[in-house]
Amino acid sequence: MIKLKNITKIYDVSKNDKVKALENVNLTIKEGELIVLKGASGSGKSTILSLIAALSKPSSGEVIVDGKQISKLPDNFASIYRRDNIGFIFQKYNLIPTLSVKENILLPLVPLNPDSEEADEKIQEVMKRFHIEHKEDSVVRNLSGGEQQRVAIARANVNNPKIIIADEPTANLDEKLSQHFLEILRELKSLNKTIIIATHDPLFIGLDFVDREIEIHNGKIV
Amino acid sequence: MRKKINLYLIEYAINAILRQSYKNFFIVTVFTILTFLLTSVFFITNSLRYEMDSTVDTLPQIIVQKMKAGRHYDIDVNRVDKILEIPGVSDAVARVWGYYYFENAGVNFSVVGIEQYENQYKNSFVNLVKKFDFDKLKENSSMLVGAGVKRTMENSYYKEYFNFIKPNGTLKKVTLGGVFDGDTNLESNDMIIMPQEIVREIFDLDPSKATDIVVKVANPMEIQTVASKIKLMFPDTRIITTGDLKVSYQNIFDYKSGIFLALFIVTLFTFFIIIYDKASGVTSEEKREIGILKAIGWTVDDVLKEKFYESFVISLFSYGLGVGLSLAYVYLFQAPLLRDIFVGYSQLKTNFELPFVFDMQTLFLVFLLSVPIYIAATIIPSWKVATLEADEVIR
Repeated sequence: MIKLKNITKIYDVSKNDKVKALENVNLTIKEGELIVLKGASGSGKSTILSLIAALSKPSSGEVIVDGKQISKLPDNFASIYRRDNIGFIFQKYNLIPTLSVKENILLPLVPLNPDSEEADEKIQEVMKRFHIEHKEDSVVRNLSGGEQQRVAIARANVNNPKIIIADEPTANLDEKLSQHFLEILRELKSLNKTIIIATHDPLFIGLDFVDREIEIHNGKIV
Repeated sequence: MRKKINLYLIEYAINAILRQSYKNFFIVTVFTILTFLLTSVFFITNSLRYEMDSTVDTLPQIIVQKMKAGRHYDIDVNRVDKILEIPGVSDAVARVWGYYYFENAGVNFSVVGIEQYENQYKNSFVNLVKKFDFDKLKENSSMLVGAGVKRTMENSYYKEYFNFIKPNGTLKKVTLGGVFDGDTNLESNDMIIMPQEIVREIFDLDPSKATDIVVKVANPMEIQTVASKIKLMFPDTRIITTGDLKVSYQNIFDYKSGIFLALFIVTLFTFFIIIYDKASGVTSEEKREIGILKAIGWTVDDVLKEKFYESFVISLFSYGLGVGLSLAYVYLFQAPLLRDIFVGYSQLKTNFELPFVFDMQTLFLVFLLSVPIYIAATIIPSWKVATLEADEVIR
């Protein structure tokens, strides 16, 4: 279970310029739930994702995941928490463009130093599941947007995380590829993963497998 | 249990180097050139110092020269007997030798006369007397030459004999009787040895005179005392001891070392400019990559380990390449250009080979001055980025 308690996040843009991204946000997400965070650009959706993934720390309040307060984790423990629990699909995919598909998917496994057979097995499994195995050795920068997104999804799932976070996942996709992404989401949901999506794409409204839609406006839950 | 060495990290580091091939090729090139320059300079000075020490060690303990109007003149041979009477002196020999300037090649040869039945003041001469028949050399008017002299003469088409020009302008033809190896490379390369009688003829030296007298002292601690006694006995002489010669050689060497020091400082300065440039920040691309790696679960330690491997591979490869090239440049190709800076007295000497002196200290010093500094310059800025919030870096 994920719990955000009285979260406020203020970004220091410069010495005299502070931006309040979130203000007193309270949110509880149950295990296996699929949540869609809706709202305009700059409303604070991505900040919530970033706090749940321990990519940043709240200015005040607590982020609790499975009973552990992750908002105060030291940097190295936050990395380990992400490695073990979070699969993050970034808006711009955040792949290493000069590496191959396989090398990109391997990256989250590198710190674990697994046996090559074990690593290969995991990589092959996610590549098959997200239909990118035919591009295994292709360099990522030469792939289409849809293919790059599938690589990002495969990378987010290679460690079999409990929580999948996706930030504007369809922002760079055409309609057909967006529909395909929804199929992937449905599959992930069937695996009982907790999924949190931040989007302003109307495609996500009223989907049967989405448990809750939460509207964010000016850093507050509406 | 986790394996100790993470091969995936090493593989990633090598991939990272290859991905930025142009930038890293430039760094490797500059790093290699600087290592090459530093080690070459060290190798050359080490070899020359070794050569100098060897030369000084083969020199006589005391040399007695007759002085007149502040200049070196021929000395009376009969002074040898008086010097032999000084307590502590174990031997004294009158030497007949001189420099012969060979204009065609622009070099000086050291021409030394040996009397077969006299005590020899050098071990190498004792061996020469045993090896070659000096009576026959006298009879045939022949000489023995060092390998360098032979090469120089051959270059000027003197393959079997050489014509020495005597002080009165006439020629003295001396045939080549053999080639010898001296105590040191420097010596063997510029020396010509022949029976004393021929040397006297070439330099027009009277049989009652010698160039100087060399004195051997049984106890090296008494060299200074004996030198003082000789000076008292013959006030018109200059007494040169091994210690004086060492100082004189050292002065020449130190002067050359000054040029070396300037070169050394310039090289280091260039290296540190590169290091400063590298340490002053990482590119936005590198920054983003670190942010991504952290976002997908790499710890600061993982990032730093990867950066360590990356910089270690680059710096160690460049260091190894630089040292390898330097070894080939100095000892295989005999350090063209750089060697001329250091062998300042080459005007007096014929070509000689730099002896191979393997000095671990030199290699270790260059290693310390380059590899750890480069690694630190790579890791510190990466550490600064890796300790930022991942969100801040990739946003």
